[in-house]
Amino acid sequence: MSHQRYPSHDAVKEPHSVSLKVLRLSRPSLVAQYPVQPPSTAATAQHNPPPIPASLAYYHDDNGAAANDEQAGRTTQTNPHPFILSPIVNLPPSFGSTYVGETFSCTLCANHDVAIPDLPAPLAVLGGADPDRPRTLSSTSSASSRTAAAAAAAAGPKNKKKTTIRDVRIEAEMKTPSSATVTKLELTPPPPVGSGSGRTDLHPNETLQKVVNFDLKEEGNHVLAVTVSYYEASDTSGRTRTFRKLYQFICKASLIVRTKPGLLPAFMGRRRWVLEAQLENCSEDTMQLERVVLDLEPGLDYSDCNWEASGSGGGSSSPTKPVLHPGEAEQVCFVVEEKGGGDGEERVKEEDGRVVFGVLGIGWRSEMGNRGFLSTGKLGTRHVKPRQRKA
Amino acid sequence: MDQTKNLAPKGHNRTRSAVKATRPRSSTKGPLDIDDVPPALAPPLSPQTAQPVVPLGQQPPRSPGLASPLPRSAAHSPIPRLPTPRPKDFSYLLRPEIYHPLTSLNVPPPFRASSKQPSPDTPIPELLARGQFRAAAIAATQALTGAGGTPAPDSTDHARIFELLYTRLACLTLIDATALAAQEVKSLEDLNSTFYTDEATGLHLVPWELRVLNVRLQAMGFGDPRRAVMSYYDLAREARARLADATARHDNSARELWKDRLADVGVRVAGALVEMDDLTGAAHHLASLKDRGDGKMAMAKALLWLHLGDVEAARRCVKPGELGQVAERTIAALCDMADGEYEAALAQWGELKEQSEDEMIGVNMAVCLLYVGKMQEGKALLESLVDSGRSSHTLLFNLTTMYELCTERAKALKIKLSEKMASTEESPSGWEKTNADFKL
Repeated sequence: MSHQRYPSHDAVKEPHSVSLKVLRLSRPSLVAQYPVQPPSTAATAQHNPPPIPASLAYYHDDNGAAANDEQAGRTTQTNPHPFILSPIVNLPPSFGSTYVGETFSCTLCANHDVAIPDLPAPLAVLGGADPDRPRTLSSTSSASSRTAAAAAAAAGPKNKKKTTIRDVRIEAEMKTPSSATVTKLELTPPPPVGSGSGRTDLHPNETLQKVVNFDLKEEGNHVLAVTVSYYEASDTSGRTRTFRKLYQFICKASLIVRTKPGLLPAFMGRRRWVLEAQLENCSEDTMQLERVVLDLEPGLDYSDCNWEASGSGGGSSSPTKPVLHPGEAEQVCFVVEEKGGGDGEERVKEEDGRVVFGVLGIGWRSEMGNRGFLSTGKLGTRHVKPRQRKA
Repeated sequence: MDQTKNLAPKGHNRTRSAVKATRPRSSTKGPLDIDDVPPALAPPLSPQTAQPVVPLGQQPPRSPGLASPLPRSAAHSPIPRLPTPRPKDFSYLLRPEIYHPLTSLNVPPPFRASSKQPSPDTPIPELLARGQFRAAAIAATQALTGAGGTPAPDSTDHARIFELLYTRLACLTLIDATALAAQEVKSLEDLNSTFYTDEATGLHLVPWELRVLNVRLQAMGFGDPRRAVMSYYDLAREARARLADATARHDNSARELWKDRLADVGVRVAGALVEMDDLTGAAHHLASLKDRGDGKMAMAKALLWLHLGDVEAARRCVKPGELGQVAERTIAALCDMADGEYEAALAQWGELKEQSEDEMIGVNMAVCLLYVGKMQEGKALLESLVDSGRSSHTLLFNLTTMYELCTERAKALKIKLSEKMASTEESPSGWEKTNADFKL
């Protein structure tokens, strides 16, 4: 590992009384259901019976709830069965894949674990080396498993003495592929007003939970480093203890953007170009393009030739946004032109004979509204001389 | 395969593929539209559409990409046409080798050891009413195969055989054994075959619910999800014909029944498209269906848009007054969650919870609590739902996920939860759970 180790104040190689568990907070997902009807008992069923309750995603008491809704004839039925999707949501079942342009969210839970003495105690392999070893962040259970599980169990006999945990504090940093330094992450929710330092006391079985967010901008190895420190006080003594865990994950490219500028005949003395772009979904998820916009240099203007402009969608109130399945591509197109009049032309930025347009920004949404956004580098085209003149 | 030899009358066949839509277009009127039912529709499955049932083991290889729902080549069954209608022999559905043994190894010990485990002679309807679906699935197989003391049904007693088979397959889908059901359903072969038509009445011998379930399971079993869409359209075609027939006869209850079934099949087409990950196709399809006044269509559309990620479109599905207030606000809260506005969503769920006992509202609120850093409250909320008798897979999944987050000894908590669930009353919502429900 190239990054620095956290300076450990922890000379003692003893199991920790606080464990750290993490869960990546992708969007929760709608639960699928497969309603089946009960077997028809009467030889000729004269009505379509409601589905077997167990085949629905959740329980709904039609009779009890109907009374609460004033609207005539409308019950408070929320389940659209026999439709496959139901409105109840599941927490993320696994870590999944991370993509450039998305926001990585993760919850960090520092728990005051009180060991159950009758659990079999596996060999505790806890020490300076182990917590610092990066692990692959694959799912909740495997994320923090070994060390702290061993800790909790091995701590059993010792922790029969009453231990209080005070001043628990979580810190998190992200190490990105290109940067030599780490980015300190902001933890939410912030500590309650008045508590000052952001330190919390934990009673047995209590949890200090924080959420971190990080915008993923690079492909490659990321390491989330979480440091937990706390003051462990027994009847006779006390000490500050610290441990650190590293979670490694690989961020992949989500969208390949290919651009091609072209020259258009000048119009009213203003130079014009066409900028085409192909956006290819190289992730494993379906995405829907939300907006594709140019952020232009001063002196330039553009018009959008894409779905917003064409109003596709067959007369519906708003245009249908393109949906890209994995591997699919969408072609977009813009006409870029100089702003007309006065000193407009002078303001167009040119570098080494290149006209610089600006950047292309692409925003998309994927399952359950998960957002992604990325922008290209500066796009432009060679300045072609002589300029075409047209009255 | 002897018992299947005399199943399939072979004759000159007219392939029905000409009338089957390969990929229904939603923009045109189709068999799913209730209006414009041609009054003079022929009775379903006219006798000349003979298709042989190919004996198991002789099926030609199926290509998943092929747009053909079932093998309809007669080449594999050189069986002479039977001259006169006589009782059909369904003994091929009574063979024990079709049915997989069900293990109880994936059932947590507190359930296995519970005194609520039914005795082997409990009648199937009682098992279903008690939510003992694994036991019911086993009992259905035993009844079909004549194991366990009772004689198997007569091989011509199709009503009994199909009822038991349906019970078996439906229960398998309820105990996380859909994959087994998808294998076992293959023994039905092609339900479009005339073999399944009652020659006297022209009606299908197989109960509707089994035909509906068969669509999804066979699509899974044969690895051809596209086929589900076509098969639902086949059912819809028949439903339309029966609806027209009932309308002509002024039989109102039959008319309502077939209307319901037609609408049901229409929504299931959208589900099949979702399973194929053709979400825009599903959206177009839903847009072509009419809301039946119960607000379900708006909810379905909104959920589909949310699944796809188009929160704006989901919001547009809600027109004031069209849905019940709870459904309306449910969509609004889900949209907030999709926008990452968990605090706003949490407030909405909180207010909804005051109005409704709906399990979904409590579970979703607890999920929001975790996202805003209040997992302790979320966990307590889910535990209170468990205490009040709720037991959905989602509830248990989310609660055990929180257990995994809040301690290193989640396993002990999960086992405790499974003990608690095993001690709850049996209900048609299902009693026995699997290890997977507790992430054990």
